Amino acid sequence: MTDHSRHEEEHCQIALMPSGRRGKVQRGTNLLKAAQELGVELESICGGRQTCLKCQVIVEEGNFPKHAITSAATHLTPPTARELEFGMNERLEGRRLACAAEVLGDLLITVPEESQARKQIIAKAASDRVIEIDPAVNQMYVEVVPPELGDSRGDWERLAQALEAEWGLHDLTIDIKAVPTLQPALREGDFAVTVTVWQGKEVLRVQPGYHEGLYGLAVDIGSTTVAAHLCDLRTGAVLATEASMNPQVRYGEDLMSRVSYATREAQGLSRLNKAVVRTLNELAEKAAASAGLALEDIIDTVIVGNPVMHHILLGINPVELGGAPFALAVDSALDLKARDIGLALHPAARLHLLPLIAGHVGADNMAVQIAEMPSEQDEIQLIVDVGTNAEIVLGNRQQVLVASSPTGPAFEGAQITHGQRAAPGAIERVRIDPVTLDPRFKVIGYDEWIEPGDGSTIPGTAKATGICGSGIIEVIVELFLAGVIDSGGLFVESARERTPRVHYLGRTGEYILVDAELSATGAPIVVTQNDIRSIQLAKAALYAGTKLLMNHRGVQKVDRVVLAGAFGTYISPLHAMILGLIPDCALDRVSAVGNAAGDGARFALLNKGLRLKAAELARWVQHISTPLEASFQDEFVAALNIPHSRDSFPSLAGILPEARDDHQGRRQRARPRQWART
Amino acid sequence: MSEDIDITQMQTPEILELIQDDLYDGLAAEVVASVNELLKRGLTPYDVLTKGLVAGMDVVGVDFRDGVLFVPEVLMAAKAMKAGMEILRPLLAETGAPQIGTMVIGTVKGDIHDIGKNLVAMMMEGAGFNVINLGINVDADTFIKAIHEHQPSILGMSALLTTTMPYMGVVINTLVEQGLRDKLIVLVGGAPLNEAFAEEIGADSYCRDAAVAVEKAKKLVAIKRGELT
Repeated sequence: MTDHSRHEEEHCQIALMPSGRRGKVQRGTNLLKAAQELGVELESICGGRQTCLKCQVIVEEGNFPKHAITSAATHLTPPTARELEFGMNERLEGRRLACAAEVLGDLLITVPEESQARKQIIAKAASDRVIEIDPAVNQMYVEVVPPELGDSRGDWERLAQALEAEWGLHDLTIDIKAVPTLQPALREGDFAVTVTVWQGKEVLRVQPGYHEGLYGLAVDIGSTTVAAHLCDLRTGAVLATEASMNPQVRYGEDLMSRVSYATREAQGLSRLNKAVVRTLNELAEKAAASAGLALEDIIDTVIVGNPVMHHILLGINPVELGGAPFALAVDSALDLKARDIGLALHPAARLHLLPLIAGHVGADNMAVQIAEMPSEQDEIQLIVDVGTNAEIVLGNRQQVLVASSPTGPAFEGAQITHGQRAAPGAIERVRIDPVTLDPRFKVIGYDEWIEPGDGSTIPGTAKATGICGSGIIEVIVELFLAGVIDSGGLFVESARERTPRVHYLGRTGEYILVDAELSATGAPIVVTQNDIRSIQLAKAALYAGTKLLMNHRGVQKVDRVVLAGAFGTYISPLHAMILGLIPDCALDRVSAVGNAAGDGARFALLNKGLRLKAAELARWVQHISTPLEASFQDEFVAALNIPHSRDSFPSLAGILPEARDDHQGRRQRARPRQWART
Repeated sequence: MSEDIDITQMQTPEILELIQDDLYDGLAAEVVASVNELLKRGLTPYDVLTKGLVAGMDVVGVDFRDGVLFVPEVLMAAKAMKAGMEILRPLLAETGAPQIGTMVIGTVKGDIHDIGKNLVAMMMEGAGFNVINLGINVDADTFIKAIHEHQPSILGMSALLTTTMPYMGVVINTLVEQGLRDKLIVLVGGAPLNEAFAEEIGADSYCRDAAVAVEKAKKLVAIKRGELT
């Protein structure tokens, strides 16, 4: 065998449709990785663990001269047990999970619409909250005595003395990167310069003559989205907001997958770190460009993120955050140079990281508290930041408690049959007619409500690709209000007599939300019994966490509920409460605040006092570890019902269906008796 | 007991089925009454256990797997089962009835998720197993100690984090080193797991949920005893 032919045997030709990307990969390469190598990003929430079932692909069979590929299903390793199991119970229909298959030969692969990773919608609009402008950096104009023979002081020493005399600044230091610019600036400005001073302690920048212009960047590194706000530090104005997907997603969708990646792969931590730093630099550059500025104009930065994002950014291996007791390497606020972590802003630009609270409660939560300030209010406020790990803050000026609750990724569309993240094509709003049980829904990227039969009148972009978190919450609540499911979350069997949309597969029901003609995939989009169960588990974890904090705080009721995070922006407060995601509260006191973490980062950028406040709060708030609480299981089980098995919701009077007591003491037997009683 | 039913007037097979229905409905007092009635009629504790309680929990398990029953109902059923078991347990020991088996279960070190594992423990108790629940954050030494102490036929391990699931492999390696592995059936479960992972770390089986855990436990125990091949 020649070297050439051996080479041919070890590599396989792959083409991916519809993108048309193609190339060679090593025989034995995992198909998900192969697609990535060829530049095709597939949906993957579990990071290749055959769990989320999102990376489905279709193997085309036959000889395709156009691609010079003879493709066959046998050119992949045989289906795994997990695939077979899924294929039997559900509708895999000859599709394969890319993460479960290894390449054995040439392949032409079709990536169905719903499996393609899409550009995310960024809901993180800058808020217009009022905030006192008192940044950590200030500009000071100063005139310096020119040097002369007989005065042996250095230029810096003379500048420092001038700053002490004119501005009252003592014990100043100067950043090493500013030193080389000092003499040219002094001479160019005829010994008049504008210096930028950080916290009255350190000179960061020396500009010739008189200068105005002080800019900073506030960044929220979310597990899914990174958002950066470029601010004018003198006016507080947001000059530009840029956001992009967190590039670490490709190494693992959820945080723990990334911790595993950092731990398992030799270069893992470095890749995760470099990916996010590169994104930060790109966002900074875009933001600066759209504001008509240069990167060098950015002189201060505040970054917030959850503990895993925080540690990875600092190059700290997050391995300890992967398991109990979830020890943080450092939880204090950090004052660094932006260059220390590889940010290419002004060479001497400062970087402030807000403090962390606990292994699962990070600087992002601190920023939310800075934005909402429950610690300065009399009323009891509940802040819920919904994500894979929901963070819960409860309290007022007497005491604030914080916890994280493991809701899992169901609210982000994972483990839901037709779930997906919020992206164009995702169903985000649902209404169900209580009589006909027909749905109306809204799809991201299209403004009109869509109804059955609209297939010929809507554009292709309005065709639904799946259901995102807010959509799944609404559809379940609407099904409950329409009597299609009961408060236990079970499909009511008689509902199938009311509409053909409810049908049974074996003994479990499902609801057809989108007919084939309105679906981007050409197949109906359904809500199954197990989808409802997944959401019940997730919402119960959140509610139980909230109840534990309420019990600790000794309150029966909250005065205000704030839904934070991008997801919170889309949730209908009414539906969230009917589902039992949040406790009872006057509906007009439930509000969505959008990206409160980003707001908090911005406020800490604009007001240095808030940085001190955050440091104080981080020590003051009490962290509760919910899984260690004895009553967690009891609260969790009680919260599985819609809205709850024992808590009352006076604010929903007239909205919730009357509690149906048709069981007369005995519960309804879901399973028919196998014997007749005489 | 339901007011409209007088169990003393019922045929024994009917009462056995009634136990199953009452378990399904989570009616502990009714289950206890039926168990006592059957014992009074001279049924062996083992027959009451297997034909009444275990058969009833089988139905609960199937409906839980299918999503028809959910966690609260299953917990109620398990509680009713436990109430019946409390009467039978001392009698079973006295009569030297065959043991269904013992299981040691815990959430592995680094992981503090409790609920899913507890559900498995309860369903296993429901299936007649004697379950030793070691709780959360359990290290290999604690598992080994419990195995020496309780001599289980099954070890169950749970992990809900991708970062903690590799520890299951550590425990299994320790079992191998100590020559305990072949004496045990090792079942693993938790959201981020799958069959491939279970195979990779050398577990006997991955269990997707509590109902599957019970099914697999029964089957593997039967195979181990030579009752099934």
